[in-house]
Amino acid sequence: MSPTAPIVTEGLQRYFGSGDDLVKAVDGVDLEIKPGEVFGFLGPNGAGKSTTVRMLTTLLRPTGGAAFVAGYDIVAQANEVRRNIGVALQDAAIDPLMTGAELLQLQAVLYGLPRSQHQTKASELLERVGLTAAADRRVGTYSGGMRRRLDLALSLIHEPSVLFLDEPTTGLDPLSRMNLWEEIRRLNHDGTTVLLTTQYLEEADQLAERIAIIDHGVIVREGEPEALKTSVGCPTLFVSVERDEEDTATEVLGRFGDLRPSHEGTLGVGLLHGPGEVSNVVRQLDEAGVAVRNLELHEPSLDDVFAEATGYRLEGAAENPDGGDGSDEVDDK
Amino acid sequence: MSIDSTTRTTKSGSGHKPRSVAFTALWPSSVGLGMRNVRNIRRLPSAFLPSLLMPIIQAVAFSGTFFAVTQIPGFPTDRSINWYLPLGVILGCGFAGIGVGFTTVRDIESGFYDRLRMTPVPRLALITGPTLGALIRALVVTTTVFLVGLLIGARLTDGMLGLLMLYVASLGVATLGTFWGLALAYRFRDMRGAAIMQLTFFLALFLSDAQTPLSVMEGWLHGVARVNPFTNILRLGRQGFLGDVTWANTWGGLVAIAAICALTLWFAVASLNRLRD
Amino acid sequence: MTAVVARPSSVDLEPSLGAQTWEMSKRAIIALARQPALVVPSLVFPLFFLALGSSSFARAINLPGFPEVDSYLDFGVAGAIMQGVLFGSVTGAAALATDIENGFFDRLIASPVARPSIIVGRLAGAMAFGAAQTVFFLVVLLPFGLNVEGGVLGGLVLVASGTLISLCVGALMSMMALRTGSSEAVQGAFPLLFILLFFSSAFFPRQTMQGVYGDLAGYNPVSYIIEGMRDIVIDGVSAWAVVRAVLIPAALCVFTVLLAMRSMNKRLARG
Repeated sequence: MSPTAPIVTEGLQRYFGSGDDLVKAVDGVDLEIKPGEVFGFLGPNGAGKSTTVRMLTTLLRPTGGAAFVAGYDIVAQANEVRRNIGVALQDAAIDPLMTGAELLQLQAVLYGLPRSQHQTKASELLERVGLTAAADRRVGTYSGGMRRRLDLALSLIHEPSVLFLDEPTTGLDPLSRMNLWEEIRRLNHDGTTVLLTTQYLEEADQLAERIAIIDHGVIVREGEPEALKTSVGCPTLFVSVERDEEDTATEVLGRFGDLRPSHEGTLGVGLLHGPGEVSNVVRQLDEAGVAVRNLELHEPSLDDVFAEATGYRLEGAAENPDGGDGSDEVDDK
Repeated sequence: MSIDSTTRTTKSGSGHKPRSVAFTALWPSSVGLGMRNVRNIRRLPSAFLPSLLMPIIQAVAFSGTFFAVTQIPGFPTDRSINWYLPLGVILGCGFAGIGVGFTTVRDIESGFYDRLRMTPVPRLALITGPTLGALIRALVVTTTVFLVGLLIGARLTDGMLGLLMLYVASLGVATLGTFWGLALAYRFRDMRGAAIMQLTFFLALFLSDAQTPLSVMEGWLHGVARVNPFTNILRLGRQGFLGDVTWANTWGGLVAIAAICALTLWFAVASLNRLRD
Repeated sequence: MTAVVARPSSVDLEPSLGAQTWEMSKRAIIALARQPALVVPSLVFPLFFLALGSSSFARAINLPGFPEVDSYLDFGVAGAIMQGVLFGSVTGAAALATDIENGFFDRLIASPVARPSIIVGRLAGAMAFGAAQTVFFLVVLLPFGLNVEGGVLGGLVLVASGTLISLCVGALMSMMALRTGSSEAVQGAFPLLFILLFFSSAFFPRQTMQGVYGDLAGYNPVSYIIEGMRDIVIDGVSAWAVVRAVLIPAALCVFTVLLAMRSMNKRLARG
């Protein structure tokens, strides 16, 4: 049984520890990523995102379930999987004592490229990621953005059909981020399937054709960003009020729809009857004696999808432990 | 499982990219990985120089301070440096191997090792590659320490054959030191492993006839050293400085090296496999 | 009561130099006790080598040049104490360098703690450790047949000697720590200590060494300190033995402690 999709997981599990310390980092993940798509994999820290990626890239053995990458079993055919994937892991450091050119050369050797191709392939990739001038400098002297670009070049040396990118733009300045996005689009255009983990929802929205959100080791949402946004339905109204008026405001907002997770000091509500309700909200808050300090109306975004699925807002520090599926009462302390 | 790697195309994925790369063979990938260790001799001399200086200092210090030891009746040579030079060489080469364990601990901690593990090289290459690097380091150590030893009075007693035996012993110890270092690096994945690999190797080497021959020592150490395989390895390496090279002084050391290498290699492979758990 | 409150608090609260020094030494000793990985090697390795030597060199004690001695254990114990104290002294100084590296030292000198107490505290900690090491070696080796001819008095002289050597080398290493501010550099002194130890009569008598090596051991003060300690173990307490075992390290201490203080002042002036 060798599935045709580039990445397939069937009830993939990974537990750590045992007894009372058992942690179900990944607890039955089913995914199917289609040929040639960019798939966004989202989740809060510790949700099982990187554990899943480490299993799919053959670094970690699953506890249960199965997964196939490029048609190969990640356990029984690990080396075939390795041959067909390119991986740029955020926390996989690069030996600072080696130069960019040497690393590409080593990578070419390790992927068994014919000797005659080493040089051309290396210069082509260095050119492509804009590191030709820095090729003979030690990686220790590179900036963060340069390392990220070298990292991408290293993962492409064997022209993989499936590319894993783990938070490829974290810590990059906006311009470098745009450039990297461009490069990812180009690779995808050339037919490479990309699995992208990111904490930037905008990045997923921009690049991914489909996304999955993982939380507590299970997939809680999966689909096309647009469809997921639509499923959230109504727009979210964020209202900032004085702290001592939050209870009253919460009660008033509850009349207009389900409360939604939001950032600290702000209340969110999904307006059941659409944007037209905003004036009613303001009036009723006013009647209840609540002074509105700020008001924002958001069309459904991936942020809302994420919040609804996990009870967290990913961007920004605010976390809501009681959030549940977003329809529970939000207790903004 | 037969995979025609030259004509195989992806069974899935975009499907348009032929996988033209052959399965990476053991030898070229080992050389590639070993070159990295060799390059670091020049790039990170602070890590290499001690492994070169330490055996020299040790050979000089032991042969100087224990100069009179050769006067003990039955001592097999009248030059103390002839007795302590091979010990210094073997200690240095063992540490050249264990140094690979240190590098690997650092690579595991930094995440660079994940990158290597994700490449489609045979798993064995992750072990044999750095071993090649360690062997080259061991060649440098053995040659340098031997030349310094000549300057301060060491003499070969059976010509180049004796020197060859020293190389065999020292390269053997570098190999088993590398396997041991890698195994512990994979097990502990942090600097605790580095401390343990150093300490255990040091103890194993010194609980032998490192300081005086079995025939001269008395008491508890005799019983331990007699069964310690490192006594055999030292005998193999030392024979060219004490008299003629004989099969009797050779085979025990070869067996010891082969047996310890087999055990430590098995331990290293099993431990590498456990990195995925 | 109001009069006390009105006084400037710095005068009121600043403890005496003695109390500060005591606090700093306590910190140094506690730090050692909490890091067995650093302490244990300097206790175990000398014993290991002595155990090896007592077996390997059992017949060497009959060689010409060796003093009249019952066992290599009796002969070698002085060298083992020296080895333990030399290598142990690196630990304390490396801790001082680490303090400098991570900024704790700067915080100390920014506080009203008297300057000398910072370094004196460290050195007092080193002395306490040196004394403890010497006692440890003697107590552990007695059941294995160690015979200290000098008796309890001889034992006390040995402890005094170990304490002073520890101060002497501790001050030297602290000077390196203060000069370089790098624990790696301090640990880099390890080979130097190894040479200092081996180019001496720590393991074999100087009389058995030859040529340049013997000459170097003759210039090495470590040889004479060890020989003084050795005489106390083998022959008993004598004035000449005490002079070498105690007065030489004491005299060297004056020198190295002054150097350490000077490095301290230089660092303060810089920073």
